Amino acid sequence: MSETVVQQPSFFQTKKGLFSWIFTLDHKRIGILYLYSIGLFFLVAAGLGILMRLELLNPGRDLIEAQTYNQVFTLHGVIMIFLFIIPSVPAVFGNFFLPIMLGTDDVAFPRLNLFSWWLYILGALFALSTLVFGDGPADTGWTFYAPYSVKTGTNVTTSVLAAFILGFSSILTGLNFIVTIHRLRTPGMGFNQMPLFAWALYATSWIQLLATPVIGITLLMIVAERVFGIGLFDPSIGGDPILYQHLFWIYSHPAVYIMALPAMGIVSEIIPTFAQRTIFGYKAIAYSSMAIAFVGYFVWGHHMFTSGMSGPAAIVFSIMTFFVAIPTAVKVFNWVATLYKGSIDIQVPLLFALAFIFNFLIGGLTGLVLGALAADVHVHDTYFVVGHFHYVMFGGAGFAFFGALHYWFPKMWGRMYNKKVANTAFALLFIGFNTTYFPMLILGLKGMPRRYYDYLPEFHDLNILSTFGSWILVTGIIVMVINLFAGGLKGKNASSNPWNGITLEWQTQSPPPLHNFDKMPELPEGGPYNYPNAKNADH
Amino acid sequence: MNGKEKNTENTSAHAHISSYSEHFGTWVALILLTLMTVFISTFGADLRTLTVATAMLIATVKALAVALYFMHLKYDAKIYTAWMIVVMALFVFFLIMVILDYITR
Repeated sequence: MSETVVQQPSFFQTKKGLFSWIFTLDHKRIGILYLYSIGLFFLVAAGLGILMRLELLNPGRDLIEAQTYNQVFTLHGVIMIFLFIIPSVPAVFGNFFLPIMLGTDDVAFPRLNLFSWWLYILGALFALSTLVFGDGPADTGWTFYAPYSVKTGTNVTTSVLAAFILGFSSILTGLNFIVTIHRLRTPGMGFNQMPLFAWALYATSWIQLLATPVIGITLLMIVAERVFGIGLFDPSIGGDPILYQHLFWIYSHPAVYIMALPAMGIVSEIIPTFAQRTIFGYKAIAYSSMAIAFVGYFVWGHHMFTSGMSGPAAIVFSIMTFFVAIPTAVKVFNWVATLYKGSIDIQVPLLFALAFIFNFLIGGLTGLVLGALAADVHVHDTYFVVGHFHYVMFGGAGFAFFGALHYWFPKMWGRMYNKKVANTAFALLFIGFNTTYFPMLILGLKGMPRRYYDYLPEFHDLNILSTFGSWILVTGIIVMVINLFAGGLKGKNASSNPWNGITLEWQTQSPPPLHNFDKMPELPEGGPYNYPNAKNADH
Repeated sequence: MNGKEKNTENTSAHAHISSYSEHFGTWVALILLTLMTVFISTFGADLRTLTVATAMLIATVKALAVALYFMHLKYDAKIYTAWMIVVMALFVFFLIMVILDYITR
């Protein structure tokens, strides 16, 4: 699609200098600040993951001591969960694209938006400070289970304060998005004319707003227990450790949907664009996001089947868990139905979206194994769980994040990356990911426990395969990052609509001007995915 | 173009301005209910097993007064009342499940 309009200065060109970035109120710049911060922490945590895989290459000690291994997997989890996956899609792509997709010029509270980025940085500094101060990073795992987290001498207090601060950042982002969606939609855009990415962010934001305060208070209770010995969770002074698990998972299970729902929103954008076809079951996808967010509140107990929780409570939680599969299956069915008889154009973003479906199906189905009360008792705390949640979080949310990066890259930077290199990077990532994590599912079923730096000799072969997969995976990450940086610096200029999309972000120039649109955007007739004349994409 | 001028819903809901008498009346009600709570727990109103239930009931009435009048829920769009009910339902479910676990362990 070519245009003859005169380009306005992009948001990159309006102001220069470091301060124009770190004190910006422009939602697009804040999105990019998040991208670089989150990307950096992802690489740090991925490095820790590689270190763990190297240690597990052989039984016994290879590189690091058992205690160091405990601290490494805790820091890997804390950074990946709180600094990468939870904020990733909403903070980066939500910030950048939500106002544009709604046809407005910014989020409802721009200063609050900047404040949430600064809180994110402050929380990150707290988390990383555990590396250099006191007795080193926490060794509890990212779940900070009591009573061990109350008793260990490592830097638990600083780690939980980091998570507390990051939680505030998350709450403020959610609040901002809810108000933006309610108040700032362009005239004529009702809720049922919103892009599905906006619906996904809306559902996510309610979880961020309602569930995150619970973890905030719970983590402060850990600090209070450590400092004052109150007796909340430590049974030796009258506390109840299972109460901690209830309070922790009432947030942390919905948090899984903070990670997954925005990723599903991305897939719902990519698939109709590259199938050039109206999305199948718009309302079913939109409302299933809300249903997942809602039902997700009722299932936290499936993380606690072996904790000593009562049998009747466990049965209720097991039944409730199976309900989550229904709206998730609705989405998968609709995505596949959208592809059916579409004019499918296999581009890198679509490959990532399809990989999301493949990986997420494995992650989801193994989740049902874990949600089934009897099966969970067998595989709880084994590598089956590690494999399962990496399929959901990395294979699902991570791949969707990479897909979004490739989908919206030409809009964000006004340039195009090298597509052949991007295809190669995708192949390395997909093969590397499955080679790393599928053996973990088998290892778990064979009984290998998680969170140990050592293992029995019969698990050796599959651990070699998994570590080998991690080398392919990290090669894919390096190739992808280099390709995207090269594309951003000296890639070919991209047109305003390289994929022939029809949601509103494709109506403005690439990169967008400071106020997003130079004229009022026109809503597509028949909804945000109505492709009546689908042809002539300029790639 | 200014996105802040493009509100598409509920703009009229914010037109309501509460009177001083309404705010003052709510405040007085909250003070009276607080005094009642203190009286029940401190001055030996002999309600036996109903003491905790009565305190919870008073606290619920106080929370409702704050939500309806001080937070303007009474005058805002019904969607916010619906969200409030959903949030309360989630909280009640949480309490029920934790108590169920505790008493059947």
